[in-house]
Amino acid sequence: MSTATAARRANPTNTKPLGLFGILVRYLAPQKWMALLMTALLLAATGLQVLVPQLLRRFIDGAMSSVPTGTLMNIALLFIGVALLTQVLNAAATYVAASVGWTATNLLRQDLTEHTLGLDMSFHNSRTSGEMIERIDGDVTSLSNFLSVFTVRVLGGVLLVIGVLIALWFENPLIGAALTAFAVVELVVLSLTRKAGVPASNLEREANAKLFGFIEERLQGLDDLRGNGAGAYTLHRFGNVMRTAYHDTRRAWMLRSVVWLSSYGLFVIGMAVTVGTSIYLVGQAAITVGAAYMTFQYLLMVHEPIEQITQQLQELQKAAAGMTRVGELFATRSALPPGGSASVPDGALGVRFDNVSFHYLDVDDSQLTLKNVSFELAPGDRLGLLGRTGSGKTTLTRLLFRLYDPSSGTVSLSGVDARDVDLNQLRSRIGLVTQDVQLFRGTVRDNLTFFDPGVSDQQILDVVHLMGLGDWLALQEQGLDTIIDSGGRNLSAGEAQLIAFARVFLKDPGLIVLDEPSSRLDPASERQLEVALERLLHGRTAIIIAHRLETVERVDRILVMGNGQVVESGSRAALAADPDSRYARLRAAALTLDMNVATAERGADILEELA
Amino acid sequence: MNFSSNPLKLTMKLVRQRNSLFIITSAYFLVIHALPVLTGVFMGGLFDALSGSQTAALSPWAFLALGLATDVARIGLFIGGIRTWASYWMEITLHLRSSVLGYLLTAAGSRRLPDSPSESVTRFRDDVNDIGEYVENWVDFWGLAAYAVVALAIMLYVNAVMTLVACIPLVVMLFMSNVLRPYIRRARRRAREATSRVTDFLGETFGSVQAVQAAGGERAVLGRFESLNATRKGAALNDTLLTELFRSVSGNMVNVAMGIVLLMGASALRLGTFTVGDFALFVTLLPRLTYSMSFMGLMFVQHKRTSVAFERLGRLMVDAPVEELITPRELNLELREGRPYEHRTPQRRPLELLEVENLSYSHPDAAEGLAGVSFTVRRGEFVVVTGRIGSGKTTLLRVLLGMLPKSGGTVAWNGEEVTDPAAFFVPPRSAYTSQVPRLFSDSLRENVALGQQLTDAEIGHALDLAVLGPDVAAMRQGLETEVGARGVRLSGGQVQRAAAARMLLQDADLLVFDDISSALDVETERRLWDGLFSGGAVTCLVVSHRRAALERADRVIVLDEGRVVAQGSLLDVLPVMPELGPAAGTPPPAERAVRAGD
Repeated sequence: MSTATAARRANPTNTKPLGLFGILVRYLAPQKWMALLMTALLLAATGLQVLVPQLLRRFIDGAMSSVPTGTLMNIALLFIGVALLTQVLNAAATYVAASVGWTATNLLRQDLTEHTLGLDMSFHNSRTSGEMIERIDGDVTSLSNFLSVFTVRVLGGVLLVIGVLIALWFENPLIGAALTAFAVVELVVLSLTRKAGVPASNLEREANAKLFGFIEERLQGLDDLRGNGAGAYTLHRFGNVMRTAYHDTRRAWMLRSVVWLSSYGLFVIGMAVTVGTSIYLVGQAAITVGAAYMTFQYLLMVHEPIEQITQQLQELQKAAAGMTRVGELFATRSALPPGGSASVPDGALGVRFDNVSFHYLDVDDSQLTLKNVSFELAPGDRLGLLGRTGSGKTTLTRLLFRLYDPSSGTVSLSGVDARDVDLNQLRSRIGLVTQDVQLFRGTVRDNLTFFDPGVSDQQILDVVHLMGLGDWLALQEQGLDTIIDSGGRNLSAGEAQLIAFARVFLKDPGLIVLDEPSSRLDPASERQLEVALERLLHGRTAIIIAHRLETVERVDRILVMGNGQVVESGSRAALAADPDSRYARLRAAALTLDMNVATAERGADILEELA
Repeated sequence: MNFSSNPLKLTMKLVRQRNSLFIITSAYFLVIHALPVLTGVFMGGLFDALSGSQTAALSPWAFLALGLATDVARIGLFIGGIRTWASYWMEITLHLRSSVLGYLLTAAGSRRLPDSPSESVTRFRDDVNDIGEYVENWVDFWGLAAYAVVALAIMLYVNAVMTLVACIPLVVMLFMSNVLRPYIRRARRRAREATSRVTDFLGETFGSVQAVQAAGGERAVLGRFESLNATRKGAALNDTLLTELFRSVSGNMVNVAMGIVLLMGASALRLGTFTVGDFALFVTLLPRLTYSMSFMGLMFVQHKRTSVAFERLGRLMVDAPVEELITPRELNLELREGRPYEHRTPQRRPLELLEVENLSYSHPDAAEGLAGVSFTVRRGEFVVVTGRIGSGKTTLLRVLLGMLPKSGGTVAWNGEEVTDPAAFFVPPRSAYTSQVPRLFSDSLRENVALGQQLTDAEIGHALDLAVLGPDVAAMRQGLETEVGARGVRLSGGQVQRAAAARMLLQDADLLVFDDISSALDVETERRLWDGLFSGGAVTCLVVSHRRAALERADRVIVLDEGRVVAQGSLLDVLPVMPELGPAAGTPPPAERAVRAGD
């Protein structure tokens, strides 16, 4: 992939967070020639800019003396030419800087995403996706702005100010000293006032965020509010939010205008000083009128870059803070050790849990643990997992994927310890179907293949038909290119579930973990899924978290969980035949209570009452 | 007058409500924008005096002092102007926002957002800002126009030919800017779109990171991310290129104009018809003149955008007359504290009988319609609406309550026809819990009380009924717990139960639940119904396919494709809903089961 990625891989033990400088060096190094080109363009543009007022002086002084009109006209033409060329060079420098910035930050985004995707779930569980967007794109974009704008404006500005001051010192030391003093004072004062403006901007941003956050939430809950007669009350609350926004925004504007006004005020002082000095020197015949005019032009030229520099210094702080966070993110290591080099065999997989115990590091609720779980499942067998919410069913399946590692004990697949298997290979051999199907905004194809271009359309279509989605796809005008909304809003729950089945089928795993869909589906849609499910599970090992007793009727083995422990396990037939088993009592209880369609969860409640 | 009327007329109506504020602000900026003409005049005088010209009326020092005084005056005016303008801007934009929100929240008739809530928020933000900026344009207009007229007059007086020739590049610039501007806007939009594709993709990837990891999809996801990033880079660079081109054009034309002044001035200076001071005057006045001219061009663009903004706000307000948006509204923004809220409820008319006759609904965009639905609900009854996904259950409740406009049929309360259901079906007559109920970033107490003055005991009772009591007891801050944006700090089930408690606290005659069961387990749902009925006679209209609800029903209404296919006790309707009965029936045809969801 990228040079930078390679650099990072070659140095995996480096856990010291990189600062702004470290990241700049790493990601800009591959583009040193472009960076050099940009610097050259800026130098040339600056040189020309410093030249322009000199031309004006020649012109004025020439006009006031006896220089031929032709020479004056040449100066005028030269003025136009130089001005045009300066603009072109500046534009080119900006473009090159933007290009450097985007190339470098795209690499950084890519590396950061790759790194973060490799972190374990204990990292992700404590962060929202909005936070991840902010940390990967927000922080990096502040660097991108810094690279593309800061470098040109600040570097260009500094060069220009230095060039102008040198030119003035050569012209007349008094004027040079006056403008130098002005530049220093302006730089210091503006930096200080800008800092004072920051809280004002934050204040305004916060007031706006509250205002629009209020509106968005209430629009989302419009029916809830209107249906409960809360319209007038909500409007009253909005009045308070508005009043806060009104006062905060006005204060923020006033405070922010201080920055602009002090810049303006400083310019007026600068004018008083330089023009005053010039008037004095012209009176002393120390400089010409042309030189006085040139000085005035130089004042204009110095004022703007200094304004830019102080503005960009704030951007620098933002970029540096962003980069510190980026460095921290890079330094975060996955709590999961990377897998070994072993691989799991093709075909249906065997599963074995040996004395597995587990607790979540970031959750203090001790109920969410597994205690000494042991069981074995032969290749091709189906296991029904029963138990109440929080009994550890889902956690158990997460260990199979190595979303977490057991605190003690081992999980092995076809005789290989899961920790010894290459993580990608391990996960490619296990398929997961959950109740809430995670769909991306993208085409049907992308959603089925997870963006893997290696899957042919024919393969996809075969699976789509096998899973009973053929009729649905035929109705979509764009076929496999039909866009699915994020979260699958334009699909019914049943269709979304079938897409999830097809996604797993395409992967051709040896083990399927199925968190059985239940409450959101109506009974008719559920039956539709069953046909597809049978096809999906055919010839594979399956672990089914069952919510319905019906589902469990077709498994080979049953495992009942309670408080993180195995409370019963065995072949379904044997357990059903033993009238004292929990499973048999559950079925009996369900039948007498006429609860064929009741959930297994409810059944587990009965089980506990029976036990 | 309507939302697509001339935006200038609409804006004028809006502006007229705060006439004095508009006039004061415009007066401030008239002087602020026009004063720089004097700066130019004084600069010219200064250099004339400096070059020893006979025409100079004052000494260079005097001109410098006058120039400085002008600028100091401007600074002073600006301080007053910015405060007035900030007040005015906030008055205008908040007026529009509260009008739209108020209409959506309280006006009669059904409210259906034309797009997703977050898209609607962009109308609240960007479209309102567009109108605000148009008003800002008019505040700035007078000063900039005055500047342009006076500056041009002075320059023409000094040297008419030179002025006219120097204006040529400025006109060229205006023309080219107008040509370039749409391209820039398009490039910027593309860059923004490419950016949101990148952030959306990141959001979705990390929102489903467990699925990505479990599927071993990291490589493929990264590949996709790389291509999205590359597209974004291309779009951003394209934007940069065009923006730089634009800047170069506007920057250069001023330089060319200055060059022309130099070229033509070369011989005029010799002849004495043009002085160094005149040159300084021209050069000082030209950049602002350019700015004033391009401002007029931009204002024209803003005029068109404002027209679009009004239309978009109109679509958000659906059937409202435009007067709803622009008529005066007492905002009292200067007050720090608003008036205390007084909770008012409409008159109670105890429910005896709710009759729904031939209720119909159809909408081109809606997956489900209703065709002639009739049923009754009597005081104390528990009526369950059931049917497969997409059969119209949610639509039925929403049309009944007036959240969607009915296309036919009648609804009668105690025999009297309800003409505006949206305004009628509110507490104390009815209360409602939607399928995916929303909470708001506030304390739990605020969320359930919705402005009513309630005692802790009253709230506690409702929480117990809604099976939320133990959860709240376990929260460290109890009722004062902040639930976070959209209630994210609570679990899905807790949000649903909080919404149920919110409804119960309304003390309404008729309780309408839309499928409260989806995030509740069977046991919790059973406890909820038990609790509700232990308290005495309540009347409920409930969407559910859970047995816990069906078994309790006095009447079950089975919907299919927007029609009532059966109605009666559970035993009566069982034959038409085999999938709900104890014996498994034949699965329905696939194409009926696999339909757009509700």
